Amino acid sequence: MIEIEELAVAYGRTRVIEDLSLSIGNGQFFTLLGPSGCGKTTLLRALAGFLPVVSGRILFGEKDVSRTPAHQRDIGMVFQDYALFPDKTVFDNVAYGLRARRVPEDSVKVRVGEHLERVGLAAFPDRRPAELSGGQRQRVALARALVIRPTLLLMDEPLSNLDAKLRVQVRETISDLQREAGITTVFVTHDQEEALAMSDMIGLMKLGKLEQVGAPVDIYRWPVSTYVADFVGGANILPVDLVDPLDEGTAKSLSLGSLRITATVPRPLAPGRAFVIARPEDIAIGPSQSGSARIMSRQYLGDLTLYKVTLGDSLSISVAQHGPAHDRHAVGEQVSLVFDVEKTLVVAQ
Amino acid sequence: MTGTRTRFDIWFWLTAALLVALAVFLLYPILTVLSTSFMRKDGASGWAIFFSDPKYLAALVNTILLGLAVTLFSALIGVPLAYVAARYTFPGKALIAILPLTTLVVPEVIAAQTWLMMLGNNGLITRWLADVGIALPSFYGWFGLTTVMTFIYYTYVYIGTLAAIRGFDGQLEEAAQGLGTTPMLSRWKVMVPVILPAVLASCLLVFTLVAGNFAVATILGHRVPLLSVMTYQTFVSETGGDPVMQSTLASVSIGLVAAVLFLQRRIVARGRHEIVMGRGVKPTALRGLAAAGLALAAALVVIVSLLPLVTVMAGAFTFARGPVMQWGRWTTLNMERVFLNSPDPIINTLIFAGAATLLSIIVSTLASYLIVKKRNALTPLLDYLAMLPLALSGTVIGIGLVMAFNTGWLILTGTGLIIVVAYVVRRLPFGVRNASATLYNMPNSIEEASISLGVPPVQSFFKVVMPVMLPSIIAAAILVWTTTVAELSASIVVYSGGRETMPIQIYRLIDSNLMAQASAYGLVLVATILIPIVLATTIFKIDLFASK
Repeated sequence: MIEIEELAVAYGRTRVIEDLSLSIGNGQFFTLLGPSGCGKTTLLRALAGFLPVVSGRILFGEKDVSRTPAHQRDIGMVFQDYALFPDKTVFDNVAYGLRARRVPEDSVKVRVGEHLERVGLAAFPDRRPAELSGGQRQRVALARALVIRPTLLLMDEPLSNLDAKLRVQVRETISDLQREAGITTVFVTHDQEEALAMSDMIGLMKLGKLEQVGAPVDIYRWPVSTYVADFVGGANILPVDLVDPLDEGTAKSLSLGSLRITATVPRPLAPGRAFVIARPEDIAIGPSQSGSARIMSRQYLGDLTLYKVTLGDSLSISVAQHGPAHDRHAVGEQVSLVFDVEKTLVVAQ
Repeated sequence: MTGTRTRFDIWFWLTAALLVALAVFLLYPILTVLSTSFMRKDGASGWAIFFSDPKYLAALVNTILLGLAVTLFSALIGVPLAYVAARYTFPGKALIAILPLTTLVVPEVIAAQTWLMMLGNNGLITRWLADVGIALPSFYGWFGLTTVMTFIYYTYVYIGTLAAIRGFDGQLEEAAQGLGTTPMLSRWKVMVPVILPAVLASCLLVFTLVAGNFAVATILGHRVPLLSVMTYQTFVSETGGDPVMQSTLASVSIGLVAAVLFLQRRIVARGRHEIVMGRGVKPTALRGLAAAGLALAAALVVIVSLLPLVTVMAGAFTFARGPVMQWGRWTTLNMERVFLNSPDPIINTLIFAGAATLLSIIVSTLASYLIVKKRNALTPLLDYLAMLPLALSGTVIGIGLVMAFNTGWLILTGTGLIIVVAYVVRRLPFGVRNASATLYNMPNSIEEASISLGVPPVQSFFKVVMPVMLPSIIAAAILVWTTTVAELSASIVVYSGGRETMPIQIYRLIDSNLMAQASAYGLVLVATILIPIVLATTIFKIDLFASK
């Protein structure tokens, strides 16, 4: 169990993280997701001990490590640029942490061999980092971090220097190994697809704060704000002005320009500006040929067609159509839009 | 920014310790010099005397004139040579590649000495020309000073210009040609403005080196009063030295060099934006007359640059009776005398330069690590102080150390330690710049990976940072060693009887016109410089100029 309590972290005089609390369960794969500058790497480095804690606490299990220097925290870390020791062989890189812990050399041999096997590099113990490909380097880095069986595994955008195909491969290696070893892991990324695919839990960050913490499906299905909806998956975000307060519940009716829609309200809303969140695939183009919406452009993408639809003069909505004849609508066509009641949300901000 | 757990961690205290050392051995001596120049002597401050006595002003003007002349001639040789080397291939081009080495291998004293052996009053060429009835102007003076310094310093312009031309995108030039200008004109219009800052910067560097030069100036400048020589002479004058005037002259030289360096920095800073990085132009292969002409010209430059090496080798084995060299009569007597009768200068050089190199490497590695990787409130000051010796000639550093440490709480005058300190201080910017270059290219994550695996920060430095830095540390050590064993201007000020180094001994022998004996020491000195370079480049495959 990793417990973060009211944490504040600063770079020099600038506070990057303030009053952040979070708990991460044992063996969990926890992803810190967010755009650059949101503080996710700062939080990771504070967990590692590379940045001092200004106030608050970090607990590894029962132990308060807030003032423990990095080398005594028993962490494993994987870096974006691999950070392999260039002068050492693959074997010596992986053995480094074990030797620092004064593990007897014969058991070093066994454990390093075992981990190189697991990451598929058993054939190259004597190579130097310069002789490996990017994907292989990151596998060595992963083995090096895992072999010491750390309390906490920290990964700082480990996939972002790899090309698309390798990224998926190494992603699977990481997921498999993490599950197998059952090591609590904090993974930093700005890639929502990675986050959704790999995590048990996601913490979406915004300006040094956690905007939402939840399982991937909850983050995607129940974004608490337009920021979350937009960052994870992308969505139509349509402003509405509420005259009356809205209670929480499903099938609330409200008007969106000239259109009446029904949507779900997860939390009570006060009168004033609110936002409708509707993902492109949760909007259907209705059978009516005389609706108030008009198709402005379309992109045929094979398994789906993406339509740009305007509603009145000002609202522009993206609609994705799957299924048979998803490409049947033409530019200029007048259509009606049907919002999925359950999946269309209204939020305050 | 790594591992900054508290504001007062180990790195902070190391920075503080280095700062204290620099304050004592660099700042305090310089401040002593600067403040002494304002003291009064017979009712007038050093500055009042300086500006009222024409002999001092003449020295300043001469120094500036010599600087301008050498800079101009260096540019006239260095720039065309660099252009030709970058754009054309021709027979014997590989020879030019060794040019940067000549500045390292041939100590200034030896360059001056060997030119004298050729063109001095008793020189080989002088006498040969006299036999056919041609009288050369005396080599002691402007003629000798300008010639020798030009052939020592043009390589700086050559290296600087070559780097700039190689970085220049040839496509720009082609684009200009495509727009309808002739090749020569497009070159003029496009390339010249782009490489100009780098060329100017290397020219100004040459100027500062000339202004601070002591070895050549003192050997050849008998009739031309120059600032560096006058400062030294004021210091050693038989009336027991003149603290006020030597300080004033030293201060003038600091001011002159600092002003030029300031200008140089501004040009470099501006040039950085203007250099268009692109793929360089593939050199054109030349044939026929043009190739032969170029090959000849380049060969001439290289031969003249390497002539000192040949001369010193020949001189070392030539029989001499007093000052008269009997060319063609070979002997090993000179070498025997060096090794058997008076090997002290060799031993002194090895000990002092060895200690200084070791100390210098430790200090500059640590300083650059702190400056680049462990920034704290004190490191900007450290960075600044480490670069300060660039503005100080060896003579100034020597005088500062003697004035600061001949009385008081720490007396170093008359010890070997003061020579080592002078060496370390002089080579500090050099070492720090070299080490920093590697550190800037090393990601912080390597060190953090080590720490995260359970190795404490200081141990992590030794286990993972040092091994990565090692090749550049060795390269820096060799460069510091080669320039330190050849050092004259600071050591001649601070040394005391019995602690002569090879350059000092050579200087004294040249002064007594004992060229054969000087050549014998010169040969040992060149060997002392060459052996580590050859070992490093051939056996350890270290690129000595990687960070230049």
